[in-house]
Amino acid sequence: MIRALAWRNIWRQPRRTILTVLGIALPVMFLIFNFSLRTATNVAMQTNSLRIFDGFAQVQPKGYLRDPDFRKTISQPEKMATALRGIDGISAAAPRLATFAVLANGSRSYGASVIGVDPAREHAVSTLAATVHVGRFLKVSDSNAAVIGDGLARNLKLAVGDRVTLLGTAYDGSTAADVLRVVGIFHSGADSFDRETLELPLARAQATFGYGDRANTIAIAGPTLAGVEDAIPAAALLAARYGVVVENWQALEPSLYDSFVFDSIVSTMVYSAIVVVVVFIILNTLLMSVLERTREFGVILALGMRSPLVGLVVWLELLLLTLVGIGLGIILGGGLILWLGHQGIALPGGEKMLAQLGLPQRVYPALTLLSVFATPGAILLAVCVAGLVPYLHVQRLQAVFAATGA
Amino acid sequence: MRKSPAEGRHFATCLKIVAFGAAVNLFATQAFAASDADTILKRALDNLRGDTSLTTGSMTIHRPDWERQVTIKSWTRGKTDSLARSIAPPIDAGNATLELDQNIWSFDPKLNQVIKLPASMMAQAWMGSDFSYDDLAKSEDLLTDYTHRLIGTEASGGHTVTAIEADPKPGAPVVWGKIVLKVRDDYVIAEETFFDQDMKPARKLVTDKIGELSGRPFPLVMTMYPQDKPGQWTRLENSDAQFNVVMPGYIFTLSNLQNPREKAQ
Repeated sequence: MIRALAWRNIWRQPRRTILTVLGIALPVMFLIFNFSLRTATNVAMQTNSLRIFDGFAQVQPKGYLRDPDFRKTISQPEKMATALRGIDGISAAAPRLATFAVLANGSRSYGASVIGVDPAREHAVSTLAATVHVGRFLKVSDSNAAVIGDGLARNLKLAVGDRVTLLGTAYDGSTAADVLRVVGIFHSGADSFDRETLELPLARAQATFGYGDRANTIAIAGPTLAGVEDAIPAAALLAARYGVVVENWQALEPSLYDSFVFDSIVSTMVYSAIVVVVVFIILNTLLMSVLERTREFGVILALGMRSPLVGLVVWLELLLLTLVGIGLGIILGGGLILWLGHQGIALPGGEKMLAQLGLPQRVYPALTLLSVFATPGAILLAVCVAGLVPYLHVQRLQAVFAATGA
Repeated sequence: MRKSPAEGRHFATCLKIVAFGAAVNLFATQAFAASDADTILKRALDNLRGDTSLTTGSMTIHRPDWERQVTIKSWTRGKTDSLARSIAPPIDAGNATLELDQNIWSFDPKLNQVIKLPASMMAQAWMGSDFSYDDLAKSEDLLTDYTHRLIGTEASGGHTVTAIEADPKPGAPVVWGKIVLKVRDDYVIAEETFFDQDMKPARKLVTDKIGELSGRPFPLVMTMYPQDKPGQWTRLENSDAQFNVVMPGYIFTLSNLQNPREKAQ
């Protein structure tokens, strides 16, 4: 009976109710859209940045992250990589050898990170191969081949087909030296990476640096970043058996992680402000309708209805109004996202700028429980609490004065 | 009781001797203190290298899980030029490093190629040790890029040891926050502590054994301990040294780096 009363009350002023409902629905739609778009952009940025080289997580020797000493290695990396690929959520695991060496071409020389990668596996964890714009990436049949960043190629005046000399320290501390032929030049978009990275076949690197079958890291990837994050505990258990550890992407790229934390703090502040404004608009509307109906409430009270019950009716009116608004907003926002999730949203800005931010040309926002219900939930909660104001107002009415308008 | 004249004279003589001794002592101490920190350091470095030097020694690189030893022959001329060539074990034999002014070239016999070390690599470990290429190239820095002051003296093993603090000159291209040296009165550096920019000790070079080499006091054994890596050190042991020998100019050339001619030496 109470619910019916409240529902009938809000439709006594259809125009005002429709305006209020829209006043809730439109911000809710905007919040859902914005939340989904932001999440999609962030995931795309994370995925793209991590997929260039790091992978979604890495197996490393203990303490390697803090002090990447080339003597810290993983023994039996192939066996471990195979075991890692067996974990749900992980589809790729590629062992790597990472060290530091002087690269020289004639009288020019630069220090660079020298990474041995398995050409058969690397493409599954890293998109670096796709950024090779001159020549080609490493092939399984390669022996003395190398791909280098375009910044390094420029500094060393190297072109595809040229020979590059490498001088570093071998695993036993003696001098490691090799001559490689440049087969490709990549442009990852990260300037410092392109200026100081050379990749060569893992087997060649293991031979040159006297590693045997050891490796320094195993890069991990999967269909989704979230899937790999869920697989980390299982991977960590496996790693522990080999005496090594799993580093998640937050540890591998702390500055990337920090930027997302900062972004989510700023967004939460903006969303909160919008929620507060919406709640006050609804509250104001309802308070006005309550004040208008002072006389009516007085009569009802005089007829014997108890004031908590009247207050409850008013509180329910507010709740119903909000639920209708939120429902409409979710339908509108969700529909928009479903449609855009199919179409994709073209991001403004040139290809180059987007690439630098690690963003694709188009993002595909996706509906998640969080994106649909987070902000509407916050509005609903705030309204329930704010509804106490008209409720208490009604409590204070006294039948005679209210009914006579005194 | 009266003193006899003989006794009196004896007493006076004793007094004179004591006074003389004290004066000599005083003079000596003052002379050392007066020779300022700059001079002490300069003489200490001169003592280490001479005008020219030819030394043979071994370098032991120790890590918690492994250790290796390399035998190195090295030539120096003045304060800026040096050539170091590994002679053992076979895997390292022939590797050589030439330093002229602040430039370093490395020769690898496997490649038969000379490579000039880029500036960005100078802070890297030399031959996998706890010494960096900078340690080779910038031996002169301590004199030119730092200001020096005496911070104390102590007696140790029959020697007066002077502690000197070297602070980088403003804008000097150095990596250390400061360097504290302990120099014995025979100008042998007993200890050298390198502090990082936060003024925490980063590494310490300790002279473990001092002896005579070619008639001069010389650090026979020195060990470098990186402070942040326990169980890790690099020890240099000098077994033979000749100073101020006549050295042909070709030794310090790129062509000699690649095609050694100094064997005739």
